[in-house]
Amino acid sequence: MFDCRFISKVEEVLNDWKLIGDSFKKTPEKGEYTTGVWEEKGEDILFADFKFNIKHHYLVQELAEKEEKEDGGEDSIPVCMQDLLCTNNDFPAIAHCLVRWYGLREFVVISPAANDAVISESKCNLLLSSVSIALGNTGCQVPVFVQIHQKWRKLYVGECQGPGVRTDFEMVHLRKVPNQYTHLSGLLDIFKSKIGCPLTSLPPVSIAIRFTYILQDWQQYFWPQQPPDIDAVIGGEVGGLEFGKLPFGACEDPISELHLATTWPCLTEGIIVDNDVYSDLDPLQAPQWSVRVRKADNPQCMLGDFVTEFFRLCRRKESTDELLGKSAFEENGKDAADISQALSKLTEPAPVPIHKLSVTGMVSSARKKIRKHRGADESPLNNDVLNAVLFFLFPDAKSLDGGEPKPSGSNVDITAQTDNEDYNLYSQLKSAPADSLTYKLALCLCMVNFYHGGVRGVAHLWQEFILEMRYRWENNYTIPGLSSGSPDLKCCLLHQKLQMLNCCIERKKARDDAKKAETAECTSYTPPYRTTNESAHSTESEKGKYEVGKSWDSWSDSEDEFFECHSDTEELKENAQDATRKQSTKEEVKEVATLKPDGRLHQFGSMTLLSTGEPLYIPVTQEPAPMTEDLLEEQSEVLAKLGTSAEGAHIRARMQSACLLSDMESFKAANPGCCLEDFVRWYSPRDYVEEEVVDESGNKVIKGELSARMKIPNNMWVEAWETAKPVPARRQRRLFDDTKEAEKVLHYLAVQRPADLTRHLLPCILHAALLKVKEEEIVEDIPSVKASIKRIVSHSSKILRFPSPEDKKIEDIISQIANVEATIARARSLKAKFATERCENPEEKEDLETFVSCLLEQPEVPIIGAGRGVAGTIIHKMFVNAQRAATLGPLEEDPKKPGSSEDRKVMSGTDFPPPAGREVILRTTVPRPAPYSKALPQRMYSVLTKDDFRLAGAFSSDTSFF
Amino acid sequence: MASATDSRYGQKESSDQNFDYMFKILIIGNSSVGKTSFLFRYADDSFTPAFVSTVGIDFKVKTIYRNDKRIKLQIWDTAGQERYRTITTAYYRGAMGFILMYDITNEESFNAVQDWSTQIKTYSWDNAQVLLVGNKCDMEDERVVSSERGRQLADHLGFEFFEASAKDNINVKQTFERLVDIICEKMSESLDTADPAVTGAKQGPQLTDQQAPPHQDCAC
Repeated sequence: MFDCRFISKVEEVLNDWKLIGDSFKKTPEKGEYTTGVWEEKGEDILFADFKFNIKHHYLVQELAEKEEKEDGGEDSIPVCMQDLLCTNNDFPAIAHCLVRWYGLREFVVISPAANDAVISESKCNLLLSSVSIALGNTGCQVPVFVQIHQKWRKLYVGECQGPGVRTDFEMVHLRKVPNQYTHLSGLLDIFKSKIGCPLTSLPPVSIAIRFTYILQDWQQYFWPQQPPDIDAVIGGEVGGLEFGKLPFGACEDPISELHLATTWPCLTEGIIVDNDVYSDLDPLQAPQWSVRVRKADNPQCMLGDFVTEFFRLCRRKESTDELLGKSAFEENGKDAADISQALSKLTEPAPVPIHKLSVTGMVSSARKKIRKHRGADESPLNNDVLNAVLFFLFPDAKSLDGGEPKPSGSNVDITAQTDNEDYNLYSQLKSAPADSLTYKLALCLCMVNFYHGGVRGVAHLWQEFILEMRYRWENNYTIPGLSSGSPDLKCCLLHQKLQMLNCCIERKKARDDAKKAETAECTSYTPPYRTTNESAHSTESEKGKYEVGKSWDSWSDSEDEFFECHSDTEELKENAQDATRKQSTKEEVKEVATLKPDGRLHQFGSMTLLSTGEPLYIPVTQEPAPMTEDLLEEQSEVLAKLGTSAEGAHIRARMQSACLLSDMESFKAANPGCCLEDFVRWYSPRDYVEEEVVDESGNKVIKGELSARMKIPNNMWVEAWETAKPVPARRQRRLFDDTKEAEKVLHYLAVQRPADLTRHLLPCILHAALLKVKEEEIVEDIPSVKASIKRIVSHSSKILRFPSPEDKKIEDIISQIANVEATIARARSLKAKFATERCENPEEKEDLETFVSCLLEQPEVPIIGAGRGVAGTIIHKMFVNAQRAATLGPLEEDPKKPGSSEDRKVMSGTDFPPPAGREVILRTTVPRPAPYSKALPQRMYSVLTKDDFRLAGAFSSDTSFF
Repeated sequence: MASATDSRYGQKESSDQNFDYMFKILIIGNSSVGKTSFLFRYADDSFTPAFVSTVGIDFKVKTIYRNDKRIKLQIWDTAGQERYRTITTAYYRGAMGFILMYDITNEESFNAVQDWSTQIKTYSWDNAQVLLVGNKCDMEDERVVSSERGRQLADHLGFEFFEASAKDNINVKQTFERLVDIICEKMSESLDTADPAVTGAKQGPQLTDQQAPPHQDCAC
């Protein structure tokens, strides 16, 4: 029984998809099936209680202008029948199997949903008949196929109907191949008998043949890259891998097979012989060669592995102490755990002994401590590796022996490179500059993790790093590899923290140096701050004149001062309150004018004080406190919490007035007898308004006064001015408490677990990995890779911009980088195989390079000149070598050498292994079923592989004149 | 990815917050160009001829409705004095939008615009949006910077441009709303251009689905 609902459903779908009636489209161009866009749409339908899926596959084509020759001349036949004969797209590189078998550009497939299968013959017939009825009813000219038997067999039967014509699609699929099907003559016999042509003399059958050969054994070519030998440590290198470099490349050949397709696209029956005893089909003589390569699935690539392993650290929960054994660094552990204790220890008057700075010395002392607690052989990092890493990170350590640290070389590089796009990548990825300590540390940790003890090695190195940081802080040695100045908020937080520590060291050092200079009764003055720009230096030396002999007491770390500071914001508040309190208790405003000027930086143009006419001096001021992003966040949160009320705004201003007050005090000290107007003229010039007025005697004079807003009674500025005492900057309370900030940073570092550290440094590693693939790509010049790298960079910059990006997104980035790496490795493998470097003829070399790069990017690449072309010759040689190896065992000899020409002729039959696939397409146009019927396209495709044989026939017949 | 769940776009932290998004905006420019007045006009609709010169950084909040979403604007007002540069630039990185202001009656403040713009480029997040505003356009008599010059400079810097007056309430609301619109546009743009294959399926609420025509209720 037919299922009417099924038929009508199929009709409905065909109608919905507008597959009704005829359409006119251009004959597809050569290769369009591969280059064009295929689309599909699907729907579920029921046959009885059987669920089917119906799918429409089609090549996207523009509708051709009507009135092409075809429909004008003869009675039009359906597009599908034209496709059967069209040779433009035989053996497409990628296509649906029905496209490959029948050459169709459009078709519909009905297949059982899920794992069902239509197996019984009666059911198959019933289904096909239903389809046939639906096609007849709707007038649809698109062929419709039904998938039968188990899915994996890819068996389809189908039908196409046109006006008065019909094509039946049939298929045979066998495991065992009957002998007569293994050669052309046998296939021709079947084709003819299937057509059952009523004519006595059959028109010639056109033939297309493709043999595919597989090369798996690359013989003379060995994959050169071995995983580095991790045990060897040679002068800063580990297993040939330098610190600060990432490994790159595949550890195994990323290209596993080469498929050579030799094609005879257009033969005519009778021209060649191919039967069970003899064959004319010599692959070497085939007019078309094309190649595809099979890529190894997930080849092991070093860079990808490296980064992935590092990323895995993020999931480790252990703290550094847990990993290294509890209280491995007892003293330091305590310091870290109890800040107040650390502070009191530091503020003890006893001077810190200044040792010669030597990383090795430190390492061994740290090592001893560890050993005490863990026994000698337990340290995760061996001494040589650790020393090598530390010297790499702190190249200044050697030169520091007994001397001042020189400005590290990397700072120079930083300015030289700043315009470089690669260099600025750090600001996109929020990592750190590629020559910075942070970046190098990331690379070292990554390597230590991979080769030297995993997470414990990481913990160990981190512990050593923190020791070094503390050592540098305590001994006033600046940290190398960090650009000077305030923390760069474009970098990762860890980098900012290190920069912050460096700021602290610089200020402390400047202070201590000044103190030292003083006790040595030195007459020359050392500026309290290390300023980076030149002009500041010169002005400071000028300023020195006024500084001689001044006491530095107020700058010292007296305990008093130290404990006044609790946190940033409190300090601000307190400062303001403090100031008011002091003002009320001490009446010293009147003395001002009689004071000696102090703390002058330089004269402010030709400006003079309004009251005394003395030159107006810009004072030396305190530098504002450097901030890391977390401090900044904290501070702005505090400010924001005060709310938007007027009162809140007032408190906010108060909290931030410390800097204003300090500047006012410095100004007063530098300019005895000054007034607020003087200050404003320097500090906020637009708040001093000058007007030309005519005085009593009729002269024009310039009269100035404070702006309206400065004259608001009791405004912040006036208030601060009244509070301010004349105190030069160096005797003021510090706005930035470097001791406290340094301890905060050191504490922060100490509590970072390896997992935290990994998260901090991940952007640096991704940055390094991207630079690495970029660098490797430049060597190979692969446009698609270039584009992917660009994409990855912009994608990563979006992901890494925000705090704590999702793991999944990070994994995505890593796998994209690994893909790029694999592609480059493939390119290298292919270049080596085709010996592009050794090719001497420049023209040939270029051809070969193009060919290789096509192999990477296209599914199948034609070889110019087939077996005689440059690439063809090389491929032939590869097969010959593989064949020899297979039959004779290893042979070193160059196959080209003795008596080659004859040898080769004889051998050419055996140069290639038996083809792994033989495909044959037979085509003709013949009237069916009767001699007077219309001549219609007939086609049969056969494919024979090692254990699979398929015949796919499409036989058309005239349905009106038979 | 600029999805709304990113902290920079002010996710809803807790239920007591009455907004869907929070944008951080910074007003910068030379001292005395009228930044504080401009902000007070917008946030409180008030004007006082003289505000105390801002010390450090201050802020106001205003919640507006955009395409059925409540957007809380946290607008930071900065001190314009040279001495405060280092302090205020530290705040640049958190800002999604900038109003760069000069005073049309003061040549120097206009000449400094280029400088401020460089500061933005150096310190801000690279997607931050900037509007150039010439304030005090009510003081036509004292004008020294023509509209044309303002517009040309804005074009040159790639910013949109407004002349405004906090005193006469001209273009104040429009400036802020336009800035909000540009920020919204940029956000959805960066969502659109994100490679869908790599951004993954799970995402927070996206701005794209609520992006109605941006000029709907905008007076400019």
